[in-house]
Amino acid sequence: MDTLNIRDAKDVEEAVRAAIASGQPLEIIGHGSKRLIGQPMATNALLDLSALNAVVAYEPNELIITVQAGAPLADVLSLIDSKNQQFAFEPINTSALLGTPDIGTVGGMIGAGLAGPRRIRAGGARDHLLGAHAVSGFGDSFKAGGKVVKNVTGYDLCKLLAGSWGTLAVMTEVTMKVMPRPESERTLVLSGLDDVTANRAMTAALGSPFDVSGAAHLPASAFRAAISGLGDMGSQAMTLLRLEGITASAMHRATALAALLAPFGAAEILQDAPSAAVWSSVRDVKPFAAAGALGAWPVWRIVCPPATGGALGQALSRDTGGDVVYDWGGGLIWAALPPKPDAQAALVRARVNAAGGHATLIRAPEQVRRNIDVFHPQQDGLARLSERVRHGFDPKHILNRGRMTRGAAT
Amino acid sequence: MTIMMPAPDQAVLARRDEIVTALRAIVPGEGVIDSAAEMVPYESDGLMAYRQPPMVVVLPDTTEQVSNVLKYCFEQGIKVVPRGSGTSLSGGALPLADGVLLGLGKFKRIREIDFDNRAVVTEPGVTNLAISQAVAHAGFYYAPDPSSQIACSIGGNVAENSGGVHCLKYGMTTNNVLGCEIVLITGEILKVGGKSAETSGYDLMGIITGSEGLLGVITEVTVRILQKPETARAVMVGFAEVEAAGECVARIIGAGIIPGGMEMMDRPAIHAAEAFVHAGYPLDVEALLIIELDGPGVEVDELISRVEAIAQGCGSTTLQISTSEMERNLFWAGRKAAFPAVGRISPDYLCMDGTIPRGALPKALARIRDLSEKYGLRVANVFHAGDGNLHPLILYDANQPGEMDKAEAFGADILRVCVELGGVLTGEHGVGVEKRDLMPEMFSEIDLNQQQRLKCAFDAQGLLNPGKVFPTLHRCAELGRMHVHGGKLAFPDLPRF
Repeated sequence: MDTLNIRDAKDVEEAVRAAIASGQPLEIIGHGSKRLIGQPMATNALLDLSALNAVVAYEPNELIITVQAGAPLADVLSLIDSKNQQFAFEPINTSALLGTPDIGTVGGMIGAGLAGPRRIRAGGARDHLLGAHAVSGFGDSFKAGGKVVKNVTGYDLCKLLAGSWGTLAVMTEVTMKVMPRPESERTLVLSGLDDVTANRAMTAALGSPFDVSGAAHLPASAFRAAISGLGDMGSQAMTLLRLEGITASAMHRATALAALLAPFGAAEILQDAPSAAVWSSVRDVKPFAAAGALGAWPVWRIVCPPATGGALGQALSRDTGGDVVYDWGGGLIWAALPPKPDAQAALVRARVNAAGGHATLIRAPEQVRRNIDVFHPQQDGLARLSERVRHGFDPKHILNRGRMTRGAAT
Repeated sequence: MTIMMPAPDQAVLARRDEIVTALRAIVPGEGVIDSAAEMVPYESDGLMAYRQPPMVVVLPDTTEQVSNVLKYCFEQGIKVVPRGSGTSLSGGALPLADGVLLGLGKFKRIREIDFDNRAVVTEPGVTNLAISQAVAHAGFYYAPDPSSQIACSIGGNVAENSGGVHCLKYGMTTNNVLGCEIVLITGEILKVGGKSAETSGYDLMGIITGSEGLLGVITEVTVRILQKPETARAVMVGFAEVEAAGECVARIIGAGIIPGGMEMMDRPAIHAAEAFVHAGYPLDVEALLIIELDGPGVEVDELISRVEAIAQGCGSTTLQISTSEMERNLFWAGRKAAFPAVGRISPDYLCMDGTIPRGALPKALARIRDLSEKYGLRVANVFHAGDGNLHPLILYDANQPGEMDKAEAFGADILRVCVELGGVLTGEHGVGVEKRDLMPEMFSEIDLNQQQRLKCAFDAQGLLNPGKVFPTLHRCAELGRMHVHGGKLAFPDLPRF
């Protein structure tokens, strides 16, 4: 397969136009850290954006950073960290889950749009992408959004680009919102709750005025390895609630929240570094790491109304013998299920539909992903509208053909 | 009126009686208004300089009726302008002479309050404030708070992606909406999103939000609600120079503090507001900042003292910290009444809405001062300083011949300055009619074509709210055409490995 090494947006335009002329679709990659996610594609060439790696402008006082799409995420994160800032949506690092090298670009982070625990409070990647330069499937460079935090000029195309897995346009430069990194964090740990009770505890916490910025539940599991930051509590059921802010405030709210949640049992409180370690494990789904006990099991990412998560996850793990981890107060379920040829898609989708959610198969062997819908099938009207939207960006189906839709690859 | 709307379709106008009859069959009773006198209230929205009676007003009260009205209009090639409460400041709901004005005012019911999922499912005609009021007993509220929140509808908020003084910390409408029911121009009813944090597939909710009524008609909205902060206090700081106030804003943000609200007023705005509401504003300053901190008491106290130190470090000349809820509200009273206050000192005013990088504020204000002299029109500035959203109020008298045109030209120049300084044409009011012809200042033809292709995916005939947002409407067939540039050779001229 050809690899086209992109030097600038003009190269992207040229490559896309050539692809249109030859009818040969392109796979868009940065570092390729998430190539294992999605429907297997039938593409003839790689469009490699990793050389578009410059930081164009970083203005901490404006709360924005503009980078080329291929900028290494780790470098950008450490740059903004040096000014005590962060991407507030806590982008997931999928390397442990997928068993891939610890790499990745800002463009890939946005294209995948996978947000971590703070999504419940700060929103997702789509809420932090302010502007982009991109090349459409027409081979034209276009601009979306702007470089300021507040903007309603024209359609908000950035929302579409975030989470579109490279199927609409090739982003070449992006402007992201950055936010101050909290001074301190505290995590309340409740032990021994079953999934449904834990869901209720998280609902109570998120319905309190204490500004909870993470609400996760790790059910008791025979499979799960010890998680850093949690000492020897590795395999017990643990419900985690995070409070962030200035130290006095985080401490105050931790105490107040512990009092509110007293009916669910006594809470242990983790401080800064151990607390951060736990949340990075939750964020990156380390309980289901490829190198761990469940590394060979397919992993689903289920998004549902938060108060329904406990019952949904409990039923799924009970009926399949699988293992689940909850984030977003129950609104996000990571489910590792014993391998089956269809990764238990029929069962998962039926349950998830009944709860009003949707499920994406994040990890599975290529053969499995080839034969099922990796992304949740949409209701007919929505699916048709989404296809018309896609067509408006890439009518010849040049960009990441078939990554989000089964059958489109041929 | 200086902005041209699409020429009315005479063939449609000639069929008006037949169209009214057909609409009456869909929406019975008083839901169809066709008398000139009764249509007067619908002639304009919050951008009152623009007026146009619609061909007919339809006020459905079920989604099915909305669907049938749209389907009829689609089949008959009739234009449709959706309208919520009609508070748009950019003319988003300005009627068309040959168009049906589709009012959602009868969709006034909150359908479900779900505290466990922190969501409210509501009909689009419910006011922004009514949502907060409906959940207040449990300590919740709906965060975006446009200053028209008493009147503006949540459906309109979604259409315009409305903001408010608290959006720096809590986000705009788009960051607080979970899902909607939308009816396409074909009559097709779609559910997008729901009570989950994210939708599946492309983020259509994100694109519908802020689409200014050009993509579909919203018949239900699901918003997320938050718990109210435990306390809130405000600091009012005066500066002898605008630059110092701008520096203070930058340092607060630079110190990692995101206030619940951070507002700035310049001297003319301060004087107008003080004369109107007697909030106790200092009159001998060039700029006034109102900075609100919210959260637990212990946090607010700590942050107030940090903000105080920063303000003093920037050379503040006056500084007052609210000691009671009454005093905090008084600080805000002047700012919140700034528009009507300016209305008292001038027969008419035009409110602009550009966003600039915060750091460019002194430069922007200097340029606005120069323009004010050039046009011979006064201007007062209020500014969402935290997020760089500038609201210059241009004072004019519509009874003076030519003065409105002059005010509009002044406003357009201000927006050009915003774009030139790295900002955008509109931060929260929308493009609508008002800023439509300025879109090329910010977007190239290719950029605008890409946006219009999205329009084509929803409304290929261009029947929904035409004449808004886009200065030139292209036919969808033309936009879909692929221009292949030579390109016989696959991937010429690229380094390969």
